[in-house]
Amino acid sequence: MPFTGEILKHRSVSIVGLSKNAGKTECLNYIIQRLPLDYFNVAVTSIGIDGETTDQVTGTAKPEITVREGMFYATSEKHFRQKRPLSELYDVSEEDTALGRVVTAKALQEGKVLLSGPSSATALKRWMQSVEGFGIDLILIDGALSRLSTASPAVSEAMVLSTGAAYSANIRELVNKTAFVVELIGLPSYVGPEPRLRVSSFSALDAGMLKGHPVVEVEGALTDRLLTAAKNALGEDELELVVGDFTKVFCSQDLYRAFLRRGGRISVRMKSHLLAVCVNPVAPNGIVLDSDILCRELSAKIGLPVYDIVKNDYEV
Amino acid sequence: MKFREIIESPCGVRYLFDELRLQSGFARKVLLDREMMTDAGQIDAAYASLREFVSLVEKDRRRVEDIRFRLQGLRDISGTLASLKDGAVLDEVEFFEIKHLAMLAESLGQGRDMDRVISILDPDGLKIGTFYLYDSYSGDLRRLRDAVEQDPEDEQLHEQLLNEEDRIKKEISSLLRPYAAVLQEVLMALAGLDISIAQALEIKDMDLTLPSSGQRTDIRGMFHPEVQASLRSRGLAFQPVDFDFDRGVPATVIGANMGGKTVALKTLCMVQYLYQFGFGVPAATATLVPFDDIRFCIGDEQDARAGLSSFAAEMQRIDRAIVAVEQGGRVLLLVDEPARTTNPVEGTALVAALLQRLAGKSELALVLTTHYTVAHEGQCWRVQGLVPGTKGRSMDYRLVKTASHEVPHEALNIARELGIDARWIELADTLMKQQYESE
Repeated sequence: MPFTGEILKHRSVSIVGLSKNAGKTECLNYIIQRLPLDYFNVAVTSIGIDGETTDQVTGTAKPEITVREGMFYATSEKHFRQKRPLSELYDVSEEDTALGRVVTAKALQEGKVLLSGPSSATALKRWMQSVEGFGIDLILIDGALSRLSTASPAVSEAMVLSTGAAYSANIRELVNKTAFVVELIGLPSYVGPEPRLRVSSFSALDAGMLKGHPVVEVEGALTDRLLTAAKNALGEDELELVVGDFTKVFCSQDLYRAFLRRGGRISVRMKSHLLAVCVNPVAPNGIVLDSDILCRELSAKIGLPVYDIVKNDYEV
Repeated sequence: MKFREIIESPCGVRYLFDELRLQSGFARKVLLDREMMTDAGQIDAAYASLREFVSLVEKDRRRVEDIRFRLQGLRDISGTLASLKDGAVLDEVEFFEIKHLAMLAESLGQGRDMDRVISILDPDGLKIGTFYLYDSYSGDLRRLRDAVEQDPEDEQLHEQLLNEEDRIKKEISSLLRPYAAVLQEVLMALAGLDISIAQALEIKDMDLTLPSSGQRTDIRGMFHPEVQASLRSRGLAFQPVDFDFDRGVPATVIGANMGGKTVALKTLCMVQYLYQFGFGVPAATATLVPFDDIRFCIGDEQDARAGLSSFAAEMQRIDRAIVAVEQGGRVLLLVDEPARTTNPVEGTALVAALLQRLAGKSELALVLTTHYTVAHEGQCWRVQGLVPGTKGRSMDYRLVKTASHEVPHEALNIARELGIDARWIELADTLMKQQYESE
């Protein structure tokens, strides 16, 4: 298998889909099937309402997660009480989600479960701390749609990205949009003296405000508004924006490129570790992209291996 | 009156709540739902119990930390216990909760019959806190599980297995039902343990004292913990204050602005609440009397949000307090600078009249701060005030009993020490004396 070895080097890995039906669940199941559980205690959970049997938006069937014997998993009370393999209960959290409290259990046999773990990145972080006593070596996190925050290096050490026809039906556009996310994930760590100016998207931004500051710390999100102001301040002076991590960058690709073209730089406080990119060439509306072309073009663009897990059932 | 209702009191009792090192969210909830004690015997019993925890904290810190570590696992399962009592059939999640509680209680030596509860939920005697419907609950269960594993597609076997699981859940539920009440007691006892330990630690952390109940209020070395912490962070010390009062004898506290009158009154209010909720109190020693009703009248930011002028809000608040006094019962009424936003003529009249209006109420303890000169039959206290020779920079915040009800004329003294234009200040002095003579 191409990247399980890499996964096992980390204590927490999030699997993040760039859109619904981007193949994230297949990707997670694929990883789970290939982990050497004889040597590792693995726990799997998700963030928020995910793991519904049918996709709530498009109504297409959504595969459940298959847990293997001996694996820990965390899900809501509601989903725990539904069909599941025989499981030994280890913990019931105090925190309530829309689907009840979060239950942590160990599967005593292989079986399918619906995952609906802690409801926010902070709750997820707390859950990860609460299970520290169970001797878990690796936590896999199913990051839900628009919950890119799970992939924040503040939550999980490393990530696997899944993208596909559901994100964009045009190969060129899909490659372009995915490559942009990969580029953001790869933003370098900030090295240098402490920035003397801190701004947030709520700051009043005067034209002259950034003048004389070669490095500016961005608190919270880097928005189009902030980046426009930064771009306009770029002249003969240098400017480097420092953000928390890539999940805080919320700006359009055009603006981002324009900023870089003018000589601006963006770096992060905490760098993310991208382990692999997986693609799903099938979209829920029936569009099927050519998997080989997609993998080849995306790989060439981002300089990383790209896998179509469904088509190529890679060797275990 | 529940603790939850006084937590936002402007006296600042929230600070002591926030600083409590509680281990479980459930204990926090139980504490917020506690009723204020109004019986001296009950309060004394609560302090006798708390005293034991204080001595445990002093003598065996390791044991305290061990208990605290275990209490992190305390969860509110009163919903589950209520269903059990009402005859419901519980499921695995609920059995897990009960087992978890019983094992926690047993490890802390709390509650009787916990071993019996545990043995129902630990048929293999594994002594671990996890749970599932163990194979050993019935031979049929084991047999059916094996069969389903051999033939996962057989719907009929699935059905049989589910039926057997339901039968076992029913059986375990009826075995546990007789213990529903004792489990609820244990749950509350563990929350109480968490609260008592947190209170004992706070007593040590903040140097609080355990008060005793008496016939009159007498507090020595009183301090406001939050103000003290804030001063300490700036390298300054809080000057402790002594204060005593009786029911039926109104007390006024007079003194210049910035003299600490309001802080003293807030502390008084906080001490009273803490006493009636069984906390350590911020003082060196304290003898206190319980009241049925504690009223603190002070302007706060909520008035502005409610769209009332500060004067209107203040008058309404005092009005409600008068109603409470008229209804009888032991009332502690603390009023901070009433009518301070009006002109001095009306303000003085309102304060003097309030004292007359509430005179002769033997069950009322009234403490009122003011910077108006108001004569009355009760006890008058004065802020010691400016330390002479420091040009207004140093203040002695202690309170002293005084026979004169006249507010000290410290503004002029400060001005003189600062060397302000002498003719101006002397002229002011002369005008003031003329005004008094004409009255």
